[in-house]
Amino acid sequence: MGRSRSRPLSLTMKIKVNTWTVPAYWSWDVENEDVCGICQVAYDACCPTCTVPGDGCPLIWGECSHVFHMHCLIKWLNAPNSQEQCPMDRTPWKTAAAHS
Amino acid sequence: MSQRSDSDHSPANVKLGFVTPVTTPSNGNTSNSKLLSGNLRTKAAPKKLIIRNFKVKPQLPPNYEDETWDRLKRAVHAIQNHEKVPESLETLYKSCENLCHHKMADRLYTRLREECEKHVQVELQKLSSNSKTGVFFLETVSQTWADYCNQMIMIRSIFLYLDRTYVLQSSGIFSLWDMGLELFRSQLLQETSLRDKIVEGSIDVITTERSGDTINSSLLQSLIRIFIDLSLYHEVFEEPFLRRTQLFYRSEGEKLVHSLDMAEYLQHVDQRLKEEGVERINAYIDPSSKPKLIKLVEAELLERHVDTILEKGFQPLLEDNRKDILALMYRLLSRVHALDKLRTYFFDSLKKTGGAIVTDESRDSTMVQSLLAYKQKIDSILADTFDHNSQFANSMREAFESFINSRQNKPAELIAKFVDSRLRSGNKTATDEELESLLDRVLILFRFIHGKDVFEAFYKRDLAKRLLLGKSASIDAEKSMLSKMKTECGPGFTSKLEGMFKDIDISRDLMSNFKLNNLFIPYDKMANSQEVFKNFYMSKHNGRRLMWQNNLGHCVVKATFPKGKKELLVSLFQTVVLLLFNDQKRDHLTYNEIKELTNIEDKELSRTLQSLACGNSRVLKKNPPGRDVNSSDTFSYNETFTASLYRLKINTIQLKETVEENTRTREGVFQDRQYQVDAAIVRIMKTRKSLSHNMLINELFEQLRFPVKATDIKKRIESLIDREYMERESEDSSSYRYLA
Repeated sequence: MGRSRSRPLSLTMKIKVNTWTVPAYWSWDVENEDVCGICQVAYDACCPTCTVPGDGCPLIWGECSHVFHMHCLIKWLNAPNSQEQCPMDRTPWKTAAAHS
Repeated sequence: MSQRSDSDHSPANVKLGFVTPVTTPSNGNTSNSKLLSGNLRTKAAPKKLIIRNFKVKPQLPPNYEDETWDRLKRAVHAIQNHEKVPESLETLYKSCENLCHHKMADRLYTRLREECEKHVQVELQKLSSNSKTGVFFLETVSQTWADYCNQMIMIRSIFLYLDRTYVLQSSGIFSLWDMGLELFRSQLLQETSLRDKIVEGSIDVITTERSGDTINSSLLQSLIRIFIDLSLYHEVFEEPFLRRTQLFYRSEGEKLVHSLDMAEYLQHVDQRLKEEGVERINAYIDPSSKPKLIKLVEAELLERHVDTILEKGFQPLLEDNRKDILALMYRLLSRVHALDKLRTYFFDSLKKTGGAIVTDESRDSTMVQSLLAYKQKIDSILADTFDHNSQFANSMREAFESFINSRQNKPAELIAKFVDSRLRSGNKTATDEELESLLDRVLILFRFIHGKDVFEAFYKRDLAKRLLLGKSASIDAEKSMLSKMKTECGPGFTSKLEGMFKDIDISRDLMSNFKLNNLFIPYDKMANSQEVFKNFYMSKHNGRRLMWQNNLGHCVVKATFPKGKKELLVSLFQTVVLLLFNDQKRDHLTYNEIKELTNIEDKELSRTLQSLACGNSRVLKKNPPGRDVNSSDTFSYNETFTASLYRLKINTIQLKETVEENTRTREGVFQDRQYQVDAAIVRIMKTRKSLSHNMLINELFEQLRFPVKATDIKKRIESLIDREYMERESEDSSSYRYLA
């Protein structure tokens, strides 16, 4: 930052930001008010077995573009008749590598 | 030897006289017979000694009995008239003994009794006609009695032989002493006016003492002793005594309960109970009267006036914190089983005083402190004066619960804010222990609140602010408060709050991985760096969106003023505004320019500018000067700014609650309650299938943990019917049916 020549120094403020704290909250990157196809509970809420939403009850994205509560999907995949397919479109379930 | 010695035969002597012809009366009979038997053994010659009876039976002198009695009577008279007894007492004793030996005891007893009876009559006559009154009369009575007793002792001594032989062996007649008492007793019973004069006179003296004069209590003691000795105490004395006592205390009670103030009155009653129950009983009243006497005093001074005492005395005594008197009141009223009434007054008084604290809106800012102080005061009264009585403690809890909830929602909100103010940093007045005990006390108030959800909502919001703005005084205190609430309301209540602490921890871990090395940023670059962080966050957490809470952002900035360097703690909005003045191209900015450059909405911006130019630390100058910010104002850098401290907190506005925020929090609570009502209705209907309106309402009131109005419930039912969760019964429109 250079010094002004045309104006006296005293008329400008010299402010330097030392620290900057801003809180933010996050939500799942899904359509608002959309629900998990397995438990019919909102994505932003949690699966029926959890009590608090958030880090403890994450979502999982499939390559088929379907999204579920991770707990719901695991329970489904462990069921004998699931045949490890996505419950929505019956294609073999593959977890998306990274959500875009 | 005189004639008298002839008659003075001992019984053994007389018997021997009839059998043996030994006539020398002076010989001792025993030695004589020994001598005889000795002779019989030593002399061998059988010389017969014939013993014959008297030819003539020895005779008593013809008027022996009367003459002897005359002498005895003279002696009795002498004793009764306080004169010298003419003969030696031993002689008199012997005479009595002889009469008894000659089987004249019966008549002797009758004669003696007659003499005594006459004497008693005379004495009591004298007393009856005695013109003296009051104490002087009573003293005469007492003296008469004392004399009579002494005389009877004397007479009995003379007639002891009679008393020990004839009287003991014959049934149905009194011993001489008892005979004396009996004569006096029956005579006194006949002389009713004399008796009443003594009784009433004695009670008059007692009344005098009750009125505060000193009396001769030994006189009273001896008078009452008379009645006790004559077994007339219960029959003659006690009843009038108790009656007059009752009259006395009835009039005293009625007078004093109005004229004295309650503290004095209660102390007076206490004093009276001590006087009657201890002093009077010890001094002269028979202890058997104690229970009746005490009961009377209690009845007249306390029981009759319980309502007056409580009405007039309780509230002022409680307000003035007169623990000693309250304790006395408790003790006295417990004697007359009026504690329930006392408790009612206690309850009403608490409700009234507490209700005044809670409902007075002008005192909202100090409500919680007042409540805490009031609770502490009542607690100490409960402990010191009401003997830790658990019923009183229950009443206190009921009263607190009732008045705290007499105003909805506000007390809960204020308690939450009070806790916030104590847990915020900068509150260095209290030590850890003090803070801890304060929190405990606040929690007791919290326990009384019905709508705990309101407390939770405000507490949660304030906790978030404390954590996000780094304003929490101590994480230990926060955690301790949290665990207190957890024990109080269960883990469900605090799980969200605990989540916040977890978030803060997560965030700290995250931030240790993220460093912005360029901290010297102009305002328009700030958005850039937010973007940088966002990308960083996304790389760590897949599938999330980030929403910035800029209104809660805060910065530490270094500002260089001509008069010194300062470190300012400012909100993000304040920072953005201040950064505008780093720009050297202009020396002042208008309100609208600032608004345009920062994009902060009006209300927030004017608050921000106000805090920078009109607060305690004015780092900006406003033109024209003034306390309020208008859209026509212009602002410039204050180059003359000085402050005594190096570190300045200008961001306190962030902690302040705005009106909108308050409304939002409340509405959140109400919204939440609606859902809970809906859920409860559906839950009940699902199990019951069909239910009448009133039954449904009743079950709801049982299930819901916050106060609800019946009209609000009706609205929710309507809404549920619209949404087809339930329907009205077709035949009975006041009943509902659940629709699966």
